Amino acid sequence: MNGRSLHRQLLLWLLLPQIVLWGVAAFGAYQLASRHADELVDASLLQAARALARQVKPTASGVFVDLPPSAQDILAADPEDRAMYSVSSPPGQLRLGDARIPPPPRSAPPGEPVFYDAAEPEPLRAVALDLHLSAPGAMDSTLRVQIARSSAPRDLLARRMLLDTALPLSLLIALMTMGVWAGIRRGLKPLAELQQQMEGRRADALDPVQLQAAPPEVRALAGAVNELLGQVQQNLDTQRRFISDAAHQLRTPLAGLKSQTELALAAVDAAADPALHQRLARVHESAVRSARLVSQLLALARTGPDAVAAQGWAPVDCARLVQDVTAECVPRALAAGCDLGADISAAAVSVQGVELLLREALVNLIDNAVRYAGAGATVTVRLRRAGDDVWIDVEDNGPGLDPALRERAFERFVRGAAAGEGCGLGLAIVREIAERHGGLAQLMSAAPHGCIARLTLPPI
Amino acid sequence: MNLLLAEDDALLADALQQQLLSASFKVEWAENGAVAEYLLKKQDFDIAILDLGLPMVDGLTVLKRVRGAGRTLPILVLTALDALEHRVAGLQAGADDYLVKPFDFPELEARLHALLRRSRPASLTQQLRQLTLDRAAHRASIAGQPVELSPREWTLLDLLVSERDRVVTKAQIADAWGSDDGASLEVYIHRLRRKLDGSGLAVRTVRGLGYLLEAAAS
Repeated sequence: MNGRSLHRQLLLWLLLPQIVLWGVAAFGAYQLASRHADELVDASLLQAARALARQVKPTASGVFVDLPPSAQDILAADPEDRAMYSVSSPPGQLRLGDARIPPPPRSAPPGEPVFYDAAEPEPLRAVALDLHLSAPGAMDSTLRVQIARSSAPRDLLARRMLLDTALPLSLLIALMTMGVWAGIRRGLKPLAELQQQMEGRRADALDPVQLQAAPPEVRALAGAVNELLGQVQQNLDTQRRFISDAAHQLRTPLAGLKSQTELALAAVDAAADPALHQRLARVHESAVRSARLVSQLLALARTGPDAVAAQGWAPVDCARLVQDVTAECVPRALAAGCDLGADISAAAVSVQGVELLLREALVNLIDNAVRYAGAGATVTVRLRRAGDDVWIDVEDNGPGLDPALRERAFERFVRGAAAGEGCGLGLAIVREIAERHGGLAQLMSAAPHGCIARLTLPPI
Repeated sequence: MNLLLAEDDALLADALQQQLLSASFKVEWAENGAVAEYLLKKQDFDIAILDLGLPMVDGLTVLKRVRGAGRTLPILVLTALDALEHRVAGLQAGADDYLVKPFDFPELEARLHALLRRSRPASLTQQLRQLTLDRAAHRASIAGQPVELSPREWTLLDLLVSERDRVVTKAQIADAWGSDDGASLEVYIHRLRRKLDGSGLAVRTVRGLGYLLEAAAS
């Protein structure tokens, strides 16, 4: 399972608590604002209720409210903040004011106000104040004074207070997010560098990772990676040395074996004892193949990055290289019945490289073409400049290569159908050599049939 | 032709002795460096094959000491090591040629003959199929019949014969002629081909490279 990006995780875990805090703070601020607004409104409601109650005089028949019409107007007329009032005695029986004010949800002892919210006829904040009236010459009675105001202004106030708190808070969060993101990126930069160095790497590039001024955590990681790389490098070196030593050791006995079978073959009369002759021929063939394999293994050991670095790098004249190597291969090609020739259309082109290795690569390509194209085929080595590249093509008009095998042919120990004495290392060596020189090796089809093996190299 | 074979691997030495014998060399075998050094200093050989990985005294040391003693015979070095520096070291120590194991015997034989030709070029009258080259007199004959050759044709034939079965490049021919006369080369080749009729030899054109003298298809 893939983990989530470290950037995202850090950002999430840094910002999540902040967002929760932001929510709690906003909610708290809203509650606080509402309460303060309620307190303000309630105080003024109570004041009004008390003032109204003071105007109520008990009479023999009931109560008398001494509220001049002008005062009534003042109470009722503010269009922005309309107040409704009612006086009832006994509670519930309207004497004066607005009948629409709903009754309080509970009753309280006289003198104690009950504040409540009501939804009808519009959202209201109301106070109900019960008073006990007793006066000489009048009957005792209970009086209820109710004042209600629309709660819209209060809600507006609370909302404004919320907005005033939440907006700067949100802005702060946004700024903080950006700050935290930048911080995370900055903090994780050494990791990104490490990633870059590891990603851009060839599979066989084993030089240590370079991290300047990295924090200890990343340095430890890079150190571990470097240690591992070093170990792999050491193993590779040991392996390569072993292959090289073993191949060297095998050469002399193989040379002996080959010479002995050559002699034996010459001594046995093929006509008199065809079975023995054939058997000897097989032994000889096998000796020849082993000898070739040993040479190729050595060549492969030589194409390792360190081995290449240790050999002489110098400008190599491509025309001379192609001419010399092709000329050298002509007798072998003629013996195999192949017409080998060169077509050098780019003079004075040089590449920076190890001549011995480039020769090895070209010999391998020519040998391959001669072997797979077979007797009667024409093999041509072409040297051309193509844009910024040098192309060395070995083209044959043999049966060609199955496209499915084209890419696999460069793998080690993959052999074509008519491999004969091939050991399956030739093209692997060619590719390694090409890559060590900053170039590449490809196989293509030739028209109308046949195969082109191309070595692409960067000229000086 | 007296030949010293210094090779410690008995199997290889045995086979080489047989093959060299049938190629009409008289072979003396030294199985370690000390013996090889002693024989090379005490006896006259026409040519020597020296393995670098010899016991007791290694081949490179033998080579230096023999050259130090003023011996100039051609020495072909056999080696199982083929890295560049080894080749260079061998040639610097006085080897005339080197061959990497394992090798094909015809290749070894060709190189031995080439070395011998180089060490005593003038005295040779060379017979190749029906062609006889008298290098002292600059004369050629086919089956006893003299062939008329211009100096350029002679140089060309001499070069092709001494490099037979190998490609002679146009640059090599120009060098031998002392002039870069590429345009007329084909004319000379054409004439030479006609004159080689009946010699059992043929001049093959190698596309883009040069020419090669080979046995004519019968």
